[in-house]
Amino acid sequence: MRRRRRFPWLSYLLVGVGAVVTVVPFLDMLLTSFKGAGEYGRLPYRFLPEAFELSNYREAFVRLDLPLLFRNSVVATAVITGSVLLTSSLAGYALAKLRFPGRDLIFRLVLATMMFPPFVFFIPHFLILVHWPLAGGNGPLGDGGAGLTVSLAALVMPFLVSGFGIFLMRQFIVSVPDEMLEAARIDGAGEFTVWWRIVVPQTKPVAVTLALLTFVSAWNEYIWALLVSTANPRLMTLPVGIQTLQSYLDPNRMVPVMMAGLMMSVLPVLLLFLLLQKYYIRGVMLSGLK
Amino acid sequence: MATTVGSADEDGDGGRAGTDALGRGDEDGGRAGVRAAGSRAGAAAHRRRRRQTVVAYLFLTPSLLFFAIFLFLPLLFAVLLSLSRWAGFDLADIRPVGTENFAALFARGSSFLTPVLSNTLLYALGTVVLALTGAVLVAHCITNLRFQGLWRTLYFLPIVTTVVAVGNVWKYMYEPGGLVNGVLNALGLRSVAFLQDPATALPSIVVVQAWASLGSAILVLTAGLKAIPRSYYEAAELDGAGQFTVFTRITLPLLRPSLLFVCVTQFITGLQSFALITVMTGEGGPGDATSVAALEMYQRAFKYGDWGSASAAALVLFVLILVITLVQLWLFRRKGEDA
Repeated sequence: MRRRRRFPWLSYLLVGVGAVVTVVPFLDMLLTSFKGAGEYGRLPYRFLPEAFELSNYREAFVRLDLPLLFRNSVVATAVITGSVLLTSSLAGYALAKLRFPGRDLIFRLVLATMMFPPFVFFIPHFLILVHWPLAGGNGPLGDGGAGLTVSLAALVMPFLVSGFGIFLMRQFIVSVPDEMLEAARIDGAGEFTVWWRIVVPQTKPVAVTLALLTFVSAWNEYIWALLVSTANPRLMTLPVGIQTLQSYLDPNRMVPVMMAGLMMSVLPVLLLFLLLQKYYIRGVMLSGLK
Repeated sequence: MATTVGSADEDGDGGRAGTDALGRGDEDGGRAGVRAAGSRAGAAAHRRRRRQTVVAYLFLTPSLLFFAIFLFLPLLFAVLLSLSRWAGFDLADIRPVGTENFAALFARGSSFLTPVLSNTLLYALGTVVLALTGAVLVAHCITNLRFQGLWRTLYFLPIVTTVVAVGNVWKYMYEPGGLVNGVLNALGLRSVAFLQDPATALPSIVVVQAWASLGSAILVLTAGLKAIPRSYYEAAELDGAGQFTVFTRITLPLLRPSLLFVCVTQFITGLQSFALITVMTGEGGPGDATSVAALEMYQRAFKYGDWGSASAAALVLFVLILVITLVQLWLFRRKGEDA
């Protein structure tokens, strides 16, 4: 595939045209963050701002308690991403390569976890956290206090395991050659060693993908964080903070200032993506296999 | 589902009977021969299977525990609500009403089956077909290009772009004075009122939703492409296989696990999402041309305080998604050994 004699102009054309369409909304987000009062949404639509206003960024900076918002977002996102990676890889390995009674049932259960409209879960999750036993002043039966809703745990608990993640890891671990696993087992490796020494290195590109997707969705998560921070404002995350700008500002400036806030929150994600790029450059090497 | 070909698997114990009943009818008969292959190997295999079972459940424990608390309990609650009337505030106010909520969903004159559910299905199907085709093409083409990192970064942008920006940009592009109609006029065609005409509103949003899901699909498929051993391509090149043959005979079949993943998850997303629709058409207009199930449920629950019928609709949607997912698993499995 790689050594092609002719210039792949068709590929360039397709990917290039697609990329233009991909970039425009993002560029619009960026350019809007520089627009002045009343400039957004005027018809005919103009992408370029009349004058590049930095005041939107200043406004967002002053209005938001950025250290608090960043701390909450970073801690929550890091814990969620780490937990999802670990649990997905372990469960994915069990579902893809180990044989045990109940495997198909559990796999279908994992798929089923993705099938419920998320709004069904908000209120029950909140009730569960409020009544978490022996936390936040609660007794052993979960009564008497605010439970986990007052701690940072509230932001992460409902997202620690992901059916999506388990499904993704399983789909890729299935393709790891059984011969490699068998060879390690014959050498006396236990299943945990097999997972850590063979499965984890072999599935790095997909683990990076899962890390990115989990990171983005945790970083941008809005509705649950809004619910939790209504109960305890100290738990506000970046997306919630940016949305609160809506109620402070005059409508003429609202969208540009919000876009400025969004740009500030998008930058860390883009940076992470660029850092993780290198894992895509080379695929998995099957060097262990003769 | 994952009868891995060539695995050194001795099915020694009867413990599988329970799972076999759960529809693994494709378990090949060859295994019966192995089963009878003598009790000497059988005892060792038995020990090994026991150990694998223990390890597997150990690896699954954190996930299963989590699902028990954060999935099973909420579901019981949802089922309870679907059989009750509740305005969403005080738990003491839950009043049982039997199957009334379900009956109302399917009653004559209810908008739930058409247009809401039919719109939802069209929306999801259109999104999956467009996004999957586009993602396969782009992910594959990118591997042919130079500066792969740059291209991948550009295609990553939709993932981090907020749905508000995406929806609004496309909304303006669809306007009478917008970019799309500008192109149509330049080609000598008449302007189309994309979002105002009930006939074109839904397809117009499908295009945007497909575009927005392209990024994550490409990420997953790229990881899938990277997992295909390069030696297969080298062998095909030596045999003088053309580009098209290589794509259909090597790339697509070996990409099947990630294709299944993208297909299933995109379908689920398509059947559940409504954020883009609210940005682009408000509450599912014109009329109810772009009204979809998730939007309908959300409004019933949070706007009208009717948690009973919202939960009932959610359970109906769940059954629909479950059936569609099982059909996909079945389709992908029939084409070969596993996916």
